[in-house]
Amino acid sequence: MQQNSSLRFFTHGPAAEVRLFFLAIFCVGLMIADSQTRYIEPVRKVVSVMLYPFQRTAMWPRDAVSQVYDWSNAVTIAKQESAAVQRQRIELAQLSTHAAQMAAENAQLRRLLAVKTTVQTPSVAVEILYTSVDPLNQTLVLTKGSNDGIRPGMPVIDEGGVVGQIRRVTPMTSEATLITDNKISVPVMVLRNGLRVIAFGSGQTGKLDVRYLGMGADIQAGDELVTSGIGGIYPQGLSVGKIATVERNSAEGFMRAHALPSAHPERYRHFLVLLVPTDTLPEIPASLSDVRSQGSGTSRRVN
Amino acid sequence: MTKRNLTALEPLQRTDYFYGSSPVYAWITIVFTWLASLLPWRDWEGSPDILILVLAFWCVQQVRGVGLITAVVFGLLMDVHDANVLGAHGLAYVLVIYGAKVFRRRMMQFGGFSQMLQMLPVFFLAPFPGHLLNAWLQGAWGGWTWVLSGLITGVMWVVADLILKLPLRPVDDNETLN
Repeated sequence: MQQNSSLRFFTHGPAAEVRLFFLAIFCVGLMIADSQTRYIEPVRKVVSVMLYPFQRTAMWPRDAVSQVYDWSNAVTIAKQESAAVQRQRIELAQLSTHAAQMAAENAQLRRLLAVKTTVQTPSVAVEILYTSVDPLNQTLVLTKGSNDGIRPGMPVIDEGGVVGQIRRVTPMTSEATLITDNKISVPVMVLRNGLRVIAFGSGQTGKLDVRYLGMGADIQAGDELVTSGIGGIYPQGLSVGKIATVERNSAEGFMRAHALPSAHPERYRHFLVLLVPTDTLPEIPASLSDVRSQGSGTSRRVN
Repeated sequence: MTKRNLTALEPLQRTDYFYGSSPVYAWITIVFTWLASLLPWRDWEGSPDILILVLAFWCVQQVRGVGLITAVVFGLLMDVHDANVLGAHGLAYVLVIYGAKVFRRRMMQFGGFSQMLQMLPVFFLAPFPGHLLNAWLQGAWGGWTWVLSGLITGVMWVVADLILKLPLRPVDDNETLN
């Protein structure tokens, strides 16, 4: 015994194998707990807040370079923008004359139908901080979080249409899952005929699937998909994508269509998060949310 | 029991012929590599993980504080940054560092290229358990591109060996570092 205690002086704690075993078990436990429950979320939030200054510091040179670049090309950029705006103005002038007429007509029809006027959803403009590299999740990390009123479940849009949905929120940042991620589904309708369908993320960049269509469903290539407003997450009428191909496989009993999303999250840096009320949404029944429920009524894992 | 006693009786000061690596320098490189890993250049899944490369390199050089727990902590930080499941990076990192610890004694007798050949399987195989478990938990398979990441990281050992040792000189030159 005496000898053992004196020899302890030379050894350095538990053997590497023992440490490896416990740390590996710890990591595996963390992975299971994080993917199946929400108990780990506070840990992630704390680490994320601590990480934020380092992330900003690391990205500072990049931001500085892009600012210097923008500044040095200010004249060219301003000229390009002004030309684009001119072009748009001419295009819009034509539209606006129609629109005024339509708006008047629409207001009258709405009064007739006693439909409430569409509510303008408040929104927050966000910038992309970086994209994540996880092959299983198509995620954008955005520069604003719960401090700016962003909550999980809120939709993210750009000028093209729906980009995705907020999945996780920390005080200063938030993570948005793209609609092409296979965990997201968006209730949409075909603009041409009002057919209500659901667009599922395909898990591949730039591709959406419209599944579980009846064999006779009236859907064809070129049809535009807009959000139907059902489910309460996405306001009605946001552009989602355009049907590219339709698969008619009678063996499956369903038709399936592939769509190209109209939003391009890879092109721009600024997005809008629509501050829809997410508290009033019903919880997902336990039988449907096989992985963590994402705080929304519509996005749940499929397959 | 006898075996344990014999291993414990090894002298405190072993004469390993490693380069005199200053822990301060090592930790500066680790922190810089970590900051570099936060930058958005790793968009491609097969891009190398330079953080674990540098951690493993300094683990082989027996820098104080670079061990299994450090690997888990940095793994956790990278998981939060990459917005993926917590523990995925940690598991891969801890396996790499364990591999580095196992091969450490033998590797010190070889040059950079041979060291790379010994570490390549470690870097290649370490991400597998995490990815398989993650795929099982998420019910989806994310493709095979990430396999390249381990291979490229392994090959970059030679580069790390060249760059990180640049400011160092052999320890027998007593007037220099330390």
